[in-house]
Amino acid sequence: MLAIAIIMLIVSLAILLFKLSLPAISKFGIGFIWGQVWNPISEEFGALPFILGTLTTSFVALLIATPLSISVALFISEICPKKIGHIIGIFVEMIAAVPSIVFGLWGIFSLAPWIQNSATPFLKSTLGFLPLFQGPSYGIGVLAASLILAIMIIPTISSFCREVFRTIPLQTKEAALALGATRFEMIKITILRPSFSGMIGGVVLGLGRALGETMAVAMVIGNSHRLAISILAPGSTMASVIANEYAEASNAMHMASLGYIALLLLVVTLMVNGLARFIIWKWSPKI
Amino acid sequence: MNILQVKNLNAWFGDHHVIKNISLDYMTNTISAIIGPSGCGKSTFIRCLNRIHEEVPSAKATGEVIMQGKNIYDADVVSIRKNIGMVFQKPTPFPAMSILDNVLIGVRLQEKLKKARLMDIAENCLQKAALWDEVKDKLNKPGTSLSGGQQQRLCIARSLALNPPILLMDEPTSALDPIATAKIEELMDNLKKEFTVIIVTHNMQQAARIADFTSFFVLGDLIEHGPSTEIFTNPKNKKTEDYIMGKFG
Amino acid sequence: MILRKLKNYLFLCLMTLSGVAVLIPLILIITYVIKMGASSLNWQFLTHLPKPVGESGGGMFHAILGTLYLVSLGGFMAIPLGVVLGTYLSELGKGWMATFLRHAIDLFTGIPSIVIGIFAYVLVVVPLKQFSALSGGVALGIIILPVVTRTTEEILKLVSNTTREAGLALGLNRTQVIWHILIKGNRAGIFTGVVLAISRAAGETAPLLFTAFGNSYFSYGLMQPMASLPAQIYTYATSPFEEWQRQAWAGSFVLILLVLGLNLSTRFFMRQKS
Repeated sequence: MLAIAIIMLIVSLAILLFKLSLPAISKFGIGFIWGQVWNPISEEFGALPFILGTLTTSFVALLIATPLSISVALFISEICPKKIGHIIGIFVEMIAAVPSIVFGLWGIFSLAPWIQNSATPFLKSTLGFLPLFQGPSYGIGVLAASLILAIMIIPTISSFCREVFRTIPLQTKEAALALGATRFEMIKITILRPSFSGMIGGVVLGLGRALGETMAVAMVIGNSHRLAISILAPGSTMASVIANEYAEASNAMHMASLGYIALLLLVVTLMVNGLARFIIWKWSPKI
Repeated sequence: MNILQVKNLNAWFGDHHVIKNISLDYMTNTISAIIGPSGCGKSTFIRCLNRIHEEVPSAKATGEVIMQGKNIYDADVVSIRKNIGMVFQKPTPFPAMSILDNVLIGVRLQEKLKKARLMDIAENCLQKAALWDEVKDKLNKPGTSLSGGQQQRLCIARSLALNPPILLMDEPTSALDPIATAKIEELMDNLKKEFTVIIVTHNMQQAARIADFTSFFVLGDLIEHGPSTEIFTNPKNKKTEDYIMGKFG
Repeated sequence: MILRKLKNYLFLCLMTLSGVAVLIPLILIITYVIKMGASSLNWQFLTHLPKPVGESGGGMFHAILGTLYLVSLGGFMAIPLGVVLGTYLSELGKGWMATFLRHAIDLFTGIPSIVIGIFAYVLVVVPLKQFSALSGGVALGIIILPVVTRTTEEILKLVSNTTREAGLALGLNRTQVIWHILIKGNRAGIFTGVVLAISRAAGETAPLLFTAFGNSYFSYGLMQPMASLPAQIYTYATSPFEEWQRQAWAGSFVLILLVLGLNLSTRFFMRQKS
């Protein structure tokens, strides 16, 4: 009975959300996704800047977080002594427990000035020829948001990878060493190779988290509605624009458009999480 | 001729002294068994012979293990292991690797060889492990798709690929059914023509059936060592006799 | 051989380095919050209401109370339901409906909190035509629910079947076994799940922005807007006034103390138990 009620609740939520955004859906249709203008005054709405912002920040975050998370997971479970590993494990989990508003606050007052004064000159002198790193930096912007996201999703990915690595029997690892493999070769053969799809599952889970993260991003991304190529420029994500504009939406169409974005965000995160679970499920019977 | 000499070997887990000053010699082209009640240190002993024991956190070993005139405790650990094969209690095929890759992985780590040469080695080793006829048509299937007994023979073939003079076996049949066990015992008899085999077993009958020499361990001490026929028919030590008669263990 | 060793060595160094690197941001954040927060924190901050812009002093007393109020409200709605659902999934859940529910709960944990905020908005704020503590509680409740459900299910699944059968063999009926043996016997584990869920909800900001909304005075009414610590930090942090920014740090300090404190003490408590 209760189960039915919960399922009904979920379905009704989806319907309510759909109803909320119906005006925007019927006015802009599917073209909303690639509309580039977001102007509450002229009631013209398009979500492309936010969709691109979400994709860029999540992608850059994954690029940074994936190798780090996997190495940390390996370090904890295979390389360092058990006790130290346990402590580092708790520290990594603690990153996940820090409220995102605190990340945001730290991002504004500590990370953003660092990006503006230290990271940007360095990036410009080394990679400045790329359009990705051109234009002025205000500190806050896409890069700051990506870095914060990377920090926030490291625990998700690395905890999951540790779970995956844990399924490898000790004897299999010893067998590799007994064949004259170095520690690195042992890890490559018996851990990384069979865990590949499991690790992908973890990365996709991390992506799901990055896509939906709101406050920390809203505070450091700069909230610009314009499209920009440079990751030093300010931008916006789907989640951040909702957080910033929802409570003071100026008119019904503005609100409906934000609802539409929420609906898109919901669909995308559900799909990404579903994909992660599918990969994990496909992978697990092999062990 | 002695291929392996163990001198004053001691091993610990933390403060727990599990191998107490053991000295033993092993002769070329023989099968030697180690028996004893559980917890007597027989597995730890054999794991000291290729220094896999030290991979366990807090584990420590001292003494000498001299192989072909060289103390393995003075040599580089990675390079000595390729000369001493090891088969474990449970089959340990590497997941996400085909049967062929499993057999060849040890060789591939050591050197780059031509494909034809690798195929020769694979066939040769699988023949020696009495597995070739069963897998020759499915070399690209995953190693984990084989039955338990086949997996264990695959692991034997994998160790043989490096052509080690010595093969260590840590209760290799304890996870297998009687038919698969019989197959492996038969195989070992053939292996001793080319290799020296040291096997830990919890099964006295197995030791009596296949081993030329048998050592009897209790709580980290070597109680008795000698030709199997003598140990099993005419033990000199009272403890050995009691164990063989089934009075303890 | 030398090449292999070099690779091995390089690899180990790299892993160790990344192990250290990952700790850096956490340490930076915590030390920064402590440094900035502790200096701004005082008795007035904990016990007073905000002062208008320009005047110094004032505090976040109302927001601290608001957070406790909203979290209790959400917990009150979600925890019993979550425990019941988790028990259902673990003990009775078979068939397509349970499978569907399990997937739905799984997916629910992945929904961005901002979208959950919108759910609560359309569910409560729109029909009642005002921002209210109730809607904030609902939003936090929706966040807490799946976490509690999953933990309960996982913990009960660890109980061996013989324990259940032993209970049945004593002549207890199924309901009694579930209540007396499974739930009461595992209350410590379930409690941990509940506390972790609550500590997560206490730090949530996004769903409160347009549900509980926030205010700058005391309010106890379910139907009135209510301040919360994270939302108040957000407002202050993004304001241009230095005094407010200082207070945002103090607020963060309190929040992080609350959340990490809850988190760590529960872990510690559980370790002592097991």
